[in-house]
Amino acid sequence: MTSNSRQAILDRVRAATLADTDRYEDVPRSYIRTGTLDSQSRVHLMTERLHEYGAEVVECAPADLPHIVVRQLQQSGRHHFVAPPGVPEEWMGNSVSWLIDQNLSHEQIEQCDGVLTAASAGVAESGTIVLHHGPTEGRRVISLLPDFHLCILRASQIVETLPEYFALSSDPPRLATYISGPSATADIEMTRIKGVHGPRFLSVIIVRDDS
Amino acid sequence: MSGPVMDPRFAPPFPEAALPILQNTQLRKNVAHATDVIQAKRNHLVAEKKDWQELRTSAAGIRAHVLANLASYLEEFETNCTAAGGVVHWARDAAEARQIILDILREEKASEVIKIKTMTSAEIQLNPALEAAGITAIETDLAELILQLGEDEASHIVVPALHVNRHQVRDIFARRMGLPQLADDPEALTAAARTYLRKKFLSVPTAISGANFLIAETGSVAIVESEGNGRMCLTLPKTLIALAGIEKVLPRFSDLEVLLQVLARSATGERLNPYNSLWSGVTAGDGPQRFHVVLLDNVRSEILGRKVERQTLQCIRCAACLNTCPVYRQTGGHAYGSPYGGPIGAILTPQLEHMRHAQSLPYASSLCAACYEVCPVKINIPEVLIDLRAQVVDQEREESRRWFDPMYIGMKAANFAFGSGARFRMAQRFGKLGLRLFTGKDGWIRKLPSLGARWTLSRDLPAMPDQTFRQWWTERESGRGKEETR
Repeated sequence: MTSNSRQAILDRVRAATLADTDRYEDVPRSYIRTGTLDSQSRVHLMTERLHEYGAEVVECAPADLPHIVVRQLQQSGRHHFVAPPGVPEEWMGNSVSWLIDQNLSHEQIEQCDGVLTAASAGVAESGTIVLHHGPTEGRRVISLLPDFHLCILRASQIVETLPEYFALSSDPPRLATYISGPSATADIEMTRIKGVHGPRFLSVIIVRDDS
Repeated sequence: MSGPVMDPRFAPPFPEAALPILQNTQLRKNVAHATDVIQAKRNHLVAEKKDWQELRTSAAGIRAHVLANLASYLEEFETNCTAAGGVVHWARDAAEARQIILDILREEKASEVIKIKTMTSAEIQLNPALEAAGITAIETDLAELILQLGEDEASHIVVPALHVNRHQVRDIFARRMGLPQLADDPEALTAAARTYLRKKFLSVPTAISGANFLIAETGSVAIVESEGNGRMCLTLPKTLIALAGIEKVLPRFSDLEVLLQVLARSATGERLNPYNSLWSGVTAGDGPQRFHVVLLDNVRSEILGRKVERQTLQCIRCAACLNTCPVYRQTGGHAYGSPYGGPIGAILTPQLEHMRHAQSLPYASSLCAACYEVCPVKINIPEVLIDLRAQVVDQEREESRRWFDPMYIGMKAANFAFGSGARFRMAQRFGKLGLRLFTGKDGWIRKLPSLGARWTLSRDLPAMPDQTFRQWWTERESGRGKEETR
């Protein structure tokens, strides 16, 4: 049945487009691809956008990271954290309890009130955190169920425009999540409410590895 | 409460459906507020984007290119999605798509499914079919949940419950979730939905989604959303079924750099949607381990073959045309009698019905072209509207009952009268005499009988002036002649 349908649909589509000679290379692309900001201004714009979404942002020097992570964990007021297996051990202070995600069950992850991950990229113009769900960003579920997400983004990973991110990703990721602000809805009278299903609190540490 | 009819086969014609809505001041207030807010946000973010027109041109170019090469991109998507562990199904029409989904669910022994908001599932009327098969569908988008629990119908493509206000939501949730003490502030209502759905996300093993984009190059599917219900449905269940129209393909992963930017700004007035998810087939240990894509034709291949109408398929369902439309802003979506309302619905719905139903929709427009101006993929909606109107007229010309239709006879008479100057002058004279009967003291005609009532139902008509233009012109010319001889 389906294989017949497949052929029937493709035949109809082919018949409808017989006369077309449109080439991919001819698609006009005169939009802005590369940004103009220096590293300092990029970090500044990223921070501004994250603040607009209500996310918390702190900057730190690479050497200070372990210390800043501990401080942010403590200030979060949360106690049970989950982290992907690739996160370096020095990020994980012992002021909170840790579960390392080696195929944890959804119930175990749901018990955690926070998650710590790295990021794959940041896009300053839209304040976007990109996760490709590798060893340091973890499986999709761990950055979804806990209510608090502490994300570590290196300044050198931040690009200014979305096309710059795509230019870097010449090998497309198998999985990706682009986060531009915490979960939100405006479905009731257009009133923006933070936190429907994903993490309600996003905190970002920008590591200044660019200077 | 009997809701509006949203099946184009049974829905009343637009003017008839719109009439009671125009008297519902609460609904009109809600719709006006929501569309004002979205438009203001959209306009602000479009204004800050220096390359907005270039992005639109590219987005339109990419979508048009896909349509021109659709068969090969569909095959490429199928190959890559299959290689990544997905199963691709092909459905010629709505009935076949429903059957494919029901078969998968039966194999999974599913009694419940969680759903991400999908317009395409409304198009194929999936929920009633699931219900008939004894499967409970749980809508997880907040607005869709409000409508489902309130037994109401969607009235907007992006924010489907915009016609419902907080007090109405409170009453629905209090009743259906058993929360009599629930407050009516949006925060409390959202929290109630979060708690209600969290249990479902963690326990229901099967999910149904739509797709914003299918990427041919990688076989990936992309979904954009705000709430996180999408991520829940895409991540937690064991089995995922994505239903997508065949036109949803993009050639390459990097084409998202254009489409995501124009979609978010147009749909919700954001720089990017809070959450964009992209996945390819099945990934061991991460997310659903069984993944099906149902590619739906349902008349699309036919639309593809029509020169003017093809652009309808460029649509990325941002609903910017609804928010800006002076007709939609008065009536909301229910008057369109279709899941697809507003300007895009007015061109898409009758085409999906082979022009056998919803023929009143191409007329539900003032042809002001505001929709064309905001469209991020440059669909010339007025052009398609006019072409569809011509098709409706052609259809009517073929019908033998046209001889009983006062409009047809009136048009024939007008054709005759307008055919010669003498007949036209004669018609004017009689018309003036006739209309005098209905003209009020203030010089306005408020109510006409028969066919004329269609006009005066919603507009007043000025009385015919004492002097026609031709009479005035003749007088003026002869006056001038006198002046010159003097």
